[in-house]
Amino acid sequence: MRILIVEDDPVLADGLTRSLRANDYAVDSANSGTEADHVLAAQPYDLVILDLGLPKIDGYEVLRRLRRRGAKVPVLILTARDALEDRVRGLDLGADDYLTKPFDLPELEARVRALIRRGQSGSSALLTHGALTVDVAGRRATLAGVPLDLSARELGVLEVLMMRSGRVVAKEQLAEQLYGWEEEVGPNAIEVYVHRLRKKLETAGVSIRTIRGLGYLLEKPDE
Amino acid sequence: MMRFSFRAPDTTLRRKLLWWLSAPLLSLWLISSVIDYDIANRFVNLAYDRALLESALDIGRQVKVLNDRVYVDLPEIAVQMLQTRESGRVYYLVTGPENEFVTGEPDLPPPPDPLSGRINYYDQQYRGRPVRIVALQLPIERGKERGLVMVQVAENRAARNEFARQILLGMVLPQMLLIVLAGLLVSHVVGRALAPLSTLRDEVGSRSHRDLSPLPEGDMPLEVRPLIHAMNELLQRLSEALSSQQRFIADAAHQLRTPIAGLKTQTELALRQAPSGEAQATLTQLRSATERTTRLVNQLLSLARAEPASGRVPAAERIDLVALAREAASEWVPRALARRIDLGFEEPGRPVHIEGDAFQLREMLNNVLDNAVRYTSPEGQVSVRVELQEGDPAITVEDDGPGVPEADRSRVFERFYRVLGTGVEGCGLGLAIVREIAQHHGAEVTLGPGVNGNGTVVRIVFRPRRLRAANDAAASFAADG
Repeated sequence: MRILIVEDDPVLADGLTRSLRANDYAVDSANSGTEADHVLAAQPYDLVILDLGLPKIDGYEVLRRLRRRGAKVPVLILTARDALEDRVRGLDLGADDYLTKPFDLPELEARVRALIRRGQSGSSALLTHGALTVDVAGRRATLAGVPLDLSARELGVLEVLMMRSGRVVAKEQLAEQLYGWEEEVGPNAIEVYVHRLRKKLETAGVSIRTIRGLGYLLEKPDE
Repeated sequence: MMRFSFRAPDTTLRRKLLWWLSAPLLSLWLISSVIDYDIANRFVNLAYDRALLESALDIGRQVKVLNDRVYVDLPEIAVQMLQTRESGRVYYLVTGPENEFVTGEPDLPPPPDPLSGRINYYDQQYRGRPVRIVALQLPIERGKERGLVMVQVAENRAARNEFARQILLGMVLPQMLLIVLAGLLVSHVVGRALAPLSTLRDEVGSRSHRDLSPLPEGDMPLEVRPLIHAMNELLQRLSEALSSQQRFIADAAHQLRTPIAGLKTQTELALRQAPSGEAQATLTQLRSATERTTRLVNQLLSLARAEPASGRVPAAERIDLVALAREAASEWVPRALARRIDLGFEEPGRPVHIEGDAFQLREMLNNVLDNAVRYTSPEGQVSVRVELQEGDPAITVEDDGPGVPEADRSRVFERFYRVLGTGVEGCGLGLAIVREIAQHHGAEVTLGPGVNGNGTVVRIVFRPRRLRAANDAAASFAADG
């Protein structure tokens, strides 16, 4: 996996390079927009981490040129600007994710992993959560390689929770995912599925928390 | 008079105008009254003197000489007429050529010595009263001699004085009335002319300190416009100075972000590589210091952005308050769980909408939640509620943390104010941001104890009417700035 870091602050660039190298990525770094543009035109990468405030050519321009060349490489924008307009502009230009400085290193690493995975498989077909794996395309779930006996609806709930692992999923969101627009489904039905899922996953060390008034949250596995 | 003009605190334009107008008018009136009195006296005297002379002549006509003796043949009816004249009783005295008494009141005061001409008028006291007397000399022939008979007729001055007084009053009273009317008119006109000034005063008086938009010139009189111009220029300079200060804070905070990101990343990296022990402890401290710096920088930036002088025009869009609060609460759940805090949400079961700026409102809620999660101890509870309070949309965030002592409750909204002894690292800007943004939205923020007397409830109540006023101010600020 090759990652290009485009960042003009040497301390930050060095920190990012070393931490990503420690995660076994091959990391190159460029400290100006011009350099980044040249490198990107010449070599393929699996991920670009792009600072917006660069000398000469800014990050937006680097991104615009990259996309104009038709490159599909995932781009994670890293910037000191956090105004909504800046975010929207970056994403409009074809960025895949956005992180505001200063950020938490684990957060950056998680996003890097997610982006690379997405770049690899188009849309992620395999969801993993600790020992738990869900094959979205094959509609199967396994726990440490052993198939789990889940109904289609239970599997649906699990998929949504795993896709948003560590974040709150509202009951309404779950209902929409499971039934589409036509069918009306009460929150009680969702409660039933979550209850059954909890029972079946009891032994897997997977915990689905109920968040008062908000929905459910699949707790992140200890990494 | 000097003292009056020096009473500066009392000077209003109206009063000044009235004073400067009525003082000369009154002096003129006084002078005019004196002149009027003089004229009235003169003409009254003229008229009465003529009537007096008539009486003297009437008597004179009756002077006869018989046997060298001068006598007056006054019929009883004529005497009665003289004594019952309208202007009061008349006294007379006729003396012969040798100054001998002929008829009348012998004690009537004599005329001044050198007589000038045949008719002389003079004022005297008679029987304790001021009288006007005419002395008429008539030639008579007594035998071969010619002599002069003197007829003196006197009347009380009272009648003519009374008449002069009436004439004076007849002239002076209408004048006084005119002056009073002029005063009232001036007062009214001044009031009308100064009405724009009081409009201006109300406009300036009712302004919030953050509204630096230009004052309306509209229908102000030309004389007042230079003043408004000058004030507007001052407001403009003030607002520029404020925004440049805001921009500086924002830029500084912005510029700090990249180096802090570097510091943070390197610290994290070092922490992973460092063996446990002293180095680890040092790096942990370093990381927490970096966290605090990060938060401070973020909050400075967010405060600078929330202030009106930032030049950032807040949006006025229709916002689903329930959705916004639920989203904000959801985003804080992972952080709350990391501290083993139960963060929950309660909604009113019906839609609640307000007008406002979603970005700022989220920022506001984030700061309230940040405080709640930060100051609540593990296993504690934080509840976010959207509700209607007397029909007004409200958000409350309640925690069961240590609570804020009553004495500190109003001070926590001040910048960099922190409640002592909480043992939690904060920078004291959070609630300042909350208040700033709430004010933009015409909302009221209060801090109180929780339901059971412990913990803290932050209550943000939106008052739609006040919001509209705030929006108008912001709109005019945007349009003119």
